Amino acid sequence: MSTEHDGERLERKLGRGDFLKLGALTMGSGVLAACGAEGAPEPAAQGTEGQEERPPIEEEPGNLVVFEWAGYEYPAYGGKGGPLQSYVDERGKPKFTFLTSDDQALGRVRAGYRPDIVHPCVDYLGNWVEMGVVQPWDTSLIPSFADLEPALVEGGQFDGQQYFIPADWGFSSPLYRSDMVEPDGEESWALFYDERYKGKISWWDSPLENFVIWGYVNGVDDPWNMSDEELDEARDFLISKKDLCRNFWSSQTDLDADFAAGNVWIAYSWGGSYVAARDAGLDVVYSEPKEGRLGWNCGFVLMEETENFRHAHEFIEAWSSTESAAWIIPNYAYGHANTAVDLTQVPKDLVEVFHLDEPAAREEPRAHYARPVTSADRARYAQRWDEVKAA
Amino acid sequence: MAVEAEQIARPGRVRTYRKPRPWLATTGLLSPPVAWLGIFFLLPVVFIFLYSVNLFAFLPGTQGFTLDGWRGFLDGSPFLDLFWKSIRMSLIVSVASVVAAYPIAYLLALVASKRKYVLLLLILAPFLVSYFLRVLAWKVILGDQGVINTFFYWTGIRAEGDPVSWLLYSQFAVILTLIYVYVPFVALPIFVALESLDRRLLEAAADLGASRWQAFRRITLPLSMPGVIAAFIFVFIPTIGEYFTPLLVGGVNGTMFGNAIADQFGQSLNWLNGSVLSFFLLVVVGLLLAVFARFLTFRRLATG
Repeated sequence: MSTEHDGERLERKLGRGDFLKLGALTMGSGVLAACGAEGAPEPAAQGTEGQEERPPIEEEPGNLVVFEWAGYEYPAYGGKGGPLQSYVDERGKPKFTFLTSDDQALGRVRAGYRPDIVHPCVDYLGNWVEMGVVQPWDTSLIPSFADLEPALVEGGQFDGQQYFIPADWGFSSPLYRSDMVEPDGEESWALFYDERYKGKISWWDSPLENFVIWGYVNGVDDPWNMSDEELDEARDFLISKKDLCRNFWSSQTDLDADFAAGNVWIAYSWGGSYVAARDAGLDVVYSEPKEGRLGWNCGFVLMEETENFRHAHEFIEAWSSTESAAWIIPNYAYGHANTAVDLTQVPKDLVEVFHLDEPAAREEPRAHYARPVTSADRARYAQRWDEVKAA
Repeated sequence: MAVEAEQIARPGRVRTYRKPRPWLATTGLLSPPVAWLGIFFLLPVVFIFLYSVNLFAFLPGTQGFTLDGWRGFLDGSPFLDLFWKSIRMSLIVSVASVVAAYPIAYLLALVASKRKYVLLLLILAPFLVSYFLRVLAWKVILGDQGVINTFFYWTGIRAEGDPVSWLLYSQFAVILTLIYVYVPFVALPIFVALESLDRRLLEAAADLGASRWQAFRRITLPLSMPGVIAAFIFVFIPTIGEYFTPLLVGGVNGTMFGNAIADQFGQSLNWLNGSVLSFFLLVVVGLLLAVFARFLTFRRLATG
């Protein structure tokens, strides 16, 4: 039934698009758009060593196609005063097409779709590289690359090469109602397994994270690369605890609604849900668990077959600039990989949510960013998560 | 076709134009739908089967025939249990929808004589609202602070803060929502069956001294059985693979087989397993349809 699928798509889009509303809530987006990009630095597009075989930018077709996350349809994003204005002024407006989930984007490219740039999330990077459709970036063509958060840059490497330029990121942490929930001792992810809150907990429906969390709680060597035995143990544990959950949420809009309706008191959550719950007047804590927060990160991969190699790099330079950061953070309530952004341009509460003034809070061991996993590892995790759900 | 051609070209008739070629018309009329089915249904099914034995693979270069997916699935995997659970839930939904829809169809066809088509439109009116919204509305009704629980607090049946929480995010919620969604749909075939009922039979029954209940049991119900069975199939077949409703109101235990399939093709990126599950569902549904179809024809022959 196609309507059902449309509904699902719409729903996911809303989940992501809701950040827009948040941005607008946190601050008048028009005002921010005005103090946004005022001309990014000129990209060093030509004459880089090792790129002799690439034609100069004038000889490229220039019809850049960006396969972008749904949510970035917001006209200001690709328009005047938006984060990409320096690129748009110089090279014209890229064509945006939209993805609603990483797996959907992979599926579409698998079926033959060939944009120039795609905006997946870093945990799927392994799948992109192994599918053989992407190539490493030439970071010497991206002056702002030096300003990007080192942990995120490192996470964007696969087989020792920079296949991925980090762009937007955020924390993932337990969010709970402080008027209803009393953590047992220190703040911990173990709150997700607390029998006292049976039926009031919501885990995120995602194949990796629930195992990663179990791994951090139980102090395994590498939660992102657990052995089959560890994964089996985690699966059995999660099955034994799954009845504590009201649901496994898959759309942020749904989670926010459940929080507001009092159906859920404890949840895996992104920063946006914290802001939404707080603004809805709920007493909520965005926890800093002793095992460390998780962090999501999405960014850009360059398609192998692109004829717009240099255009693509200029686009990424515009995205990576401090001007772009000053626009993205308040308008989308996302973190931005550029750490050189002037914090006085960013609303205080967002500085606080993303610890923009406290680098240590964004580094190991207080924050564990998502990282690429191989297709085989994703399959090992996903199979067990599917078993948890089916059980 | 040969017979038809002969009938048309009957001797003794004056024929001024070319001998018609009915096979051409038949082929011409049939080929678009057949091509449609072939390209958009049969071919994909073949692809799914090829994926399920890894002759096609999601990652290029990893294909190679294997039955591991099928073996894993049939050898006591949790997905097989999930399948039986889905069948169980679908059965409950189908039977309940038919039972709920029958009186509605009866009322429309046999009691509401003049305004029956207006009423029929009213019953179909919910279809004007998107499926998504209709399911979402149930969340408002069934939630911990929802309509029902608020009523319970107000009447003192439940203490405030002690909601009946199995109303939402449960198998119950999925079954209830599906029944709600399918009742109007199910009422239609039953309505059609009852509409074409020969009223003289009921008059005759009354003349012969049958009570209304007897007339219903011996005449109306048996004659409307084809509609009832068609209605049952209308619900049972699509709900086995139901995906959207459990996703929205199912919680951790209301998951159905369709959700598992979506996950395999989606976030798990396991097209092999996903294809195994899909193809299995397809085969089972196909078999069920074949059985029902036989039964339907048989009933028609027996009653009509």
